[in-house]
Amino acid sequence: MLCQNCEKNEANIRYTQIINGVKKEIALCSECARKLGIDDLRMPINFNSFLGDFFNDYAETEFLPMLQTNELKCKTCGMTYNDFINTGVFGCSDCYEVFSNPIDSLLKNLHGTSKHIGRIPKGKAEKIDVKNVENKKEPQSKKEMLEKDLEKAIKEERYEDAAKIRDELKEMK
Amino acid sequence: MNWYLQNGKDSDVIISSRIRLSRNIEGIPFVSKCKPEELKTVYKKMKEIVPLIGYGLKFISLKDLDDINREVLVEKNLISAEFAKSKNPYSAIIINDEENICITINEEDHIKLQIFSSGLEVENLMNLAIELDQKLEELVPYSFNKKYGYLTACPTNVGTGLKVSVFAHLPALTITGNIRKFLSAVNNLGMSIKGVYGDNSKAEGDIYQISNNQTIGITEKEITKNLKLISQKVLEQEKMARKYLGKKGIDLEDKLYRDFGVLSNARKISEQEARELISNVKLGTDLGIISELNDTKISELMLYTKPASLSLRVGKKLSVYEQEIERANVIKQILSE
Repeated sequence: MLCQNCEKNEANIRYTQIINGVKKEIALCSECARKLGIDDLRMPINFNSFLGDFFNDYAETEFLPMLQTNELKCKTCGMTYNDFINTGVFGCSDCYEVFSNPIDSLLKNLHGTSKHIGRIPKGKAEKIDVKNVENKKEPQSKKEMLEKDLEKAIKEERYEDAAKIRDELKEMK
Repeated sequence: MNWYLQNGKDSDVIISSRIRLSRNIEGIPFVSKCKPEELKTVYKKMKEIVPLIGYGLKFISLKDLDDINREVLVEKNLISAEFAKSKNPYSAIIINDEENICITINEEDHIKLQIFSSGLEVENLMNLAIELDQKLEELVPYSFNKKYGYLTACPTNVGTGLKVSVFAHLPALTITGNIRKFLSAVNNLGMSIKGVYGDNSKAEGDIYQISNNQTIGITEKEITKNLKLISQKVLEQEKMARKYLGKKGIDLEDKLYRDFGVLSNARKISEQEARELISNVKLGTDLGIISELNDTKISELMLYTKPASLSLRVGKKLSVYEQEIERANVIKQILSE
């Protein structure tokens, strides 16, 4: 039997994956297996590199990720769809918008659905400005930091913490 | 006493429970695409807010821990082996003295909030996790999408970002030859179950981790409840197998006491052999056959026979050969305490 990926070499590895009771099987040559990161079967299998597998339904003609030609690209972090298939992880939050289409089918495969129904964050934390944080005068002296902490602790009525910080400040003087 | 040495609800079978919430900070790429200054921003922000979270949490930069101390965290299952090897200078953990709360910073996701307990305690842990998460979300803006929920680097965590898991000790299901059948049954229920130690062919020490696969399109409550139900089923099946084993009477007693004999009298012993023997000695103790031990001693044996924890206890870095000798010594120490 020929390798189902390259269709050139003789297949000598049979890979079976069972997720949620759905069995998928493929015959590979050792070279393709190595490329896909599934040659070393003694290693605990890295689930991430198999994610591309789930795209079977999405790109019906192709089974394996390396043949994907989809070149969608996230403008924010520069991640392409193929990058994702190779690494199994997204680059940033915006990837979820850019790759929304394939993600929907991926999530349906993984979880049976693609709609969140759990908790929603209620926090009103301010957005962090990376540049601002960087430009802030640094290094801040330990004393300054403690003084700030003390202020905060008092404001939040955490008097035990405040007392500790005060003692620490005293020691420094 | 730290949670991993404690005795918990049903901990004769369900050794421990863990809740993990994966979170990322809005406006900053996920860790794999972060520039150094972005990783540093996450690091600094988290360091800054630690006093505001409370719970006696402390911020520890991974680069300040030597190899042994990092490895000990892995052996206590507080961090992953990959994270322990991280070269990223902005990797950190936020942890308390009891070590039942451990938040990893800049692993795969910016924040992984983990809560631990001995025994089957998933619901109580979930309440504590939500409490902590609500504190955090006041202090850092989470990356959240109305449709996909909490956004995570890996789509296997997206939505609730929640993984609930338990460690189960299943020696009787193994001895009675039912474990394979049992594993596939649990898998078919949408949970993942795998051996914690050893390779794929054999779970050393008969310890398995069970966790949820689905993280989106399901509520936190449902995930927790499902895992609790499965754990109770596991407990029930293992207890049934133990009852059956108990009928073997003297044959079983002989086997377990022989293992206890080897464990307590060996002059040098490998990690793997110790793990296999401790598994049977724990079974013997839980069945009331072996009376020389108690749960705390078993937990101590489980922890201090692991290489880094052993080295830390002895107070110096040991070669594998030295480890085997010291391991036998430490076992005798624990047994005679």
